[in-house]
Amino acid sequence: MPARSEEVMLEVRGLRKSFGGKPALQGVSFSVREGEIFGLLGHNGAGKSTALGVILGMVEPDGGEALIGGVSVRRKRKVALRKAGAIFESPAFYEYLSGWENLRILVGYSGKFEEGKAREVVESVGLTARIGSKVGAYSHGMRQRLALAQALLPEPKVLLLDEPTDGLDPEGIKWFRDFILRLRAERGMTVLFNSHLLPEVELMCDRVAIIRQGRMVYDGDLGGIADERLLLRVGAEPREKARELLRGMGGEEIEGGRVQFPAGTDPARVARFLVEAGLELRELTPVKRSLEDLYLAMTKEGGAE
Amino acid sequence: MSLFFGQLRGELRKLFARKRTYIGYGVFLVVEVIILVVFHLEKSQKAMRELMGQNGLAFENYYSSLTVTYMVMGFSMFLLGSIYFALVAGDIVAKESEDGNLRLVLSRPVSRLRVLLLKYAAILIYTTTFVLFVGGTGYLMSVGAVGGGGGLFIWNYKMKVFAFYPEWGDGALRLLLAAVLIGVSMCTLSTLGFMFSCFKIKPASASILTLSVLFVDFVLQEFPFFKPYEEYFITFRMSNWVYALENHLSWAKLAESYAFLGGLNVTLFVVGWMAFQMRDFKT
Repeated sequence: MPARSEEVMLEVRGLRKSFGGKPALQGVSFSVREGEIFGLLGHNGAGKSTALGVILGMVEPDGGEALIGGVSVRRKRKVALRKAGAIFESPAFYEYLSGWENLRILVGYSGKFEEGKAREVVESVGLTARIGSKVGAYSHGMRQRLALAQALLPEPKVLLLDEPTDGLDPEGIKWFRDFILRLRAERGMTVLFNSHLLPEVELMCDRVAIIRQGRMVYDGDLGGIADERLLLRVGAEPREKARELLRGMGGEEIEGGRVQFPAGTDPARVARFLVEAGLELRELTPVKRSLEDLYLAMTKEGGAE
Repeated sequence: MSLFFGQLRGELRKLFARKRTYIGYGVFLVVEVIILVVFHLEKSQKAMRELMGQNGLAFENYYSSLTVTYMVMGFSMFLLGSIYFALVAGDIVAKESEDGNLRLVLSRPVSRLRVLLLKYAAILIYTTTFVLFVGGTGYLMSVGAVGGGGGLFIWNYKMKVFAFYPEWGDGALRLLLAAVLIGVSMCTLSTLGFMFSCFKIKPASASILTLSVLFVDFVLQEFPFFKPYEEYFITFRMSNWVYALENHLSWAKLAESYAFLGGLNVTLFVVGWMAFQMRDFKT
């Protein structure tokens, strides 16, 4: 696996965009280093696709800019996009043409279509047997493989994936994930993965950013999600008294009977405290803080800005 | 340049790979047959026989494959051509935008202007070749119906053109020139449809708008108040191909008409391009 460099391959700076007076992006900034897989998370309508549209030069921002490989998309779109390939949630191909003809036409917009190279890519995405069939007869999974093939031609350094695994079956999702991870491992591909499938993001991404109502509410390593705070699932009777005592220890109850304590809290001390107070302790289990916890905390109304 | 032609080939492939395209060709062939049958009816021939007789022309020589081809082309283009080209041109950008194909295209390092130029070139090629197809098949069917040889007789009341060519060769050359010019005229119709197609609009709306503009243009120029200004009407200029059939061929008159249409086409293209350039493409 190539060592990840510090070179920034994709950067967005202070993106702002409104549609009909309604803000879609409000000063969104993030950067993705070479060889990194970066997850962009948010609810439907949060602004993820708008951000991707700006990166691809399909949406004109009201302010800010996007750079691919240090080249401004706004000023030199053609040069910038030579380094990028993109896949969308439901890639719309020409249904009445074969997969091969679709590839030839789409790749032809980037320059000369090299048959040998195209055959290699088609082989790598496992579509050789059906590449001559009309796309109208393709399953969703086959369309995504074709989308991947067209995105990989000619040879991008950055892949922009807009909810690519939506609608795929579990096998298809796994294949897609393994393929992207292999691309990163073998070619040092930089990937922007736009999704709301949190388990996928957790399995693939090195870093994530969370967008809520057009604003960035988190940008950091996935490792950082497992923060220093202690998260325990606590079951004790009587419940009301337990709540009161836990609050006294600095515990903050979050959903599902889980209580979050300040960093450095010792679980044994919590257990002893509850037992010594005469409570019947039924459960005290440390819980791993997941991406979902972070996501829900960040995206709920009034969550962290 | 070779890259442009490679991309244009792809654009044409898309256009000609659709079944609808061939349905259009089939429909025109059927219409040509119907027109031929109507012209073969005795009552239809009677009017023409009288008109030729009044001008001292022998019906046997001028009721020929060339004359029938002229009528078949004029009628079929008037009846169906406008609808058909408005449908195809109205589709060419709007349909891809609606279906989402354009997102895949525009995610590649290609300018929007180039995408439009490719589509526009494809629609112009399609329009002119289609007209020539109608002319060619119309001629072959006419030969089948009335036999080869004979002269060419032209009578166009609206454009005030009356002409005749006793020799087949002279008539055929003029008819060929007229067919090419019909193709160029029809390009204006296609350009209008193309322009509307560049806006954020449904494909059917682009076609309907195109036909509406032409219909209003056609009706208005018939009003007596507008008669002095008829040369400013699109459909009047589009009909100027018939001047290519006058015995005294005026290149200046043709050049003026086609310069008008050419200027209009450029303007419509630029308006469409501006609209397309300002659009945001997003799911």
